[in-house]
Amino acid sequence: MIRRPAFRRGLAEGAPVLLVVLPFGVAFGVLAVGVMPGWLAMVTSLLVVSGAAQFAMVGLAAAGPEAILVAATGLALRHVPMSATLSGLIGQQPLPVRAGLAWVLVDESFGLTVDASRRGIDDLVGYKAAIDLQLYTAWMAGTAIGVFVGPVIDPVALGIEVLFPLLFLGLAVPLLRTRRHWVAAGSAVVFAILATLVLPEAWQVTAAAVLAALVGALIGD
Amino acid sequence: MIEPWVVVVVAVVTYLCRASFLVLPGLPQPSGMWARFLDSFPLALFVSLATIGFVAPEGIPAVTPGLAAAAGGVLGAAITRRSLIGTIVIGAAVYWVARLLSG
Repeated sequence: MIRRPAFRRGLAEGAPVLLVVLPFGVAFGVLAVGVMPGWLAMVTSLLVVSGAAQFAMVGLAAAGPEAILVAATGLALRHVPMSATLSGLIGQQPLPVRAGLAWVLVDESFGLTVDASRRGIDDLVGYKAAIDLQLYTAWMAGTAIGVFVGPVIDPVALGIEVLFPLLFLGLAVPLLRTRRHWVAAGSAVVFAILATLVLPEAWQVTAAAVLAALVGALIGD
Repeated sequence: MIEPWVVVVVAVVTYLCRASFLVLPGLPQPSGMWARFLDSFPLALFVSLATIGFVAPEGIPAVTPGLAAAAGGVLGAAITRRSLIGTIVIGAAVYWVARLLSG
């Protein structure tokens, strides 16, 4: 695998992404140790490999497992169209290869692989494997660093708690592409504020997100 | 505290969604309202998490430096062309200024 030109190209072109993934792995580790043991934070990064889902899990920890599972399922479902697109791009491949490529099917590796396809790179399996390897390594290393330093950091004194909503704002902004997205985002702001007034804390985020996404679904393309 | 079984369920659901078409290429693609809901949900969830984090960090609306962080984050997103890092750095900087000014 490592001798394939596309693999080496994937290593080179995926390297800048590490600069983003590693710090967020650290941030996840730091925040996660407040709501789960350090070993479970590591297992979470090992098995889930999804920044959005993992940060949502931490953010919803106080709301309970039901809210976490609803949010995580909603976030995971966005991978279904990505899976369909990638399946078409890589063509006929053995089942173990397809199953392996699914493991680290995240926004960054998907975006880079689709872009590589547009640029005419034939060996997308080798290319994506290189991206995945780097992302996975950086995510795990970042989480480990965060878990290690997390217990000695006072999140309130450092103002780390505000990084959480800022992170979600930063994740949301690039998704604003169409009128439907703007409507869904505006609805989410309104529903979220209303939810804080009328709903128990455990259901505020989930209810606001589901209602706003329903509003978005009513808006045509 | 988050229980280990929650992590396992989230991992399984996430992997099944990622593997769906890669393992079973013949599955029908999401379409219509369902596709639009899936397209809108991540954004709606992130905005909801952000809004509640800024507006009601303790579960009820309150005026805190978090509101300044929200304004700073929006400003950061605008002037850094929607950069994630720019949103966070500028939002955090504005938050710290507001926190210092509010004592």
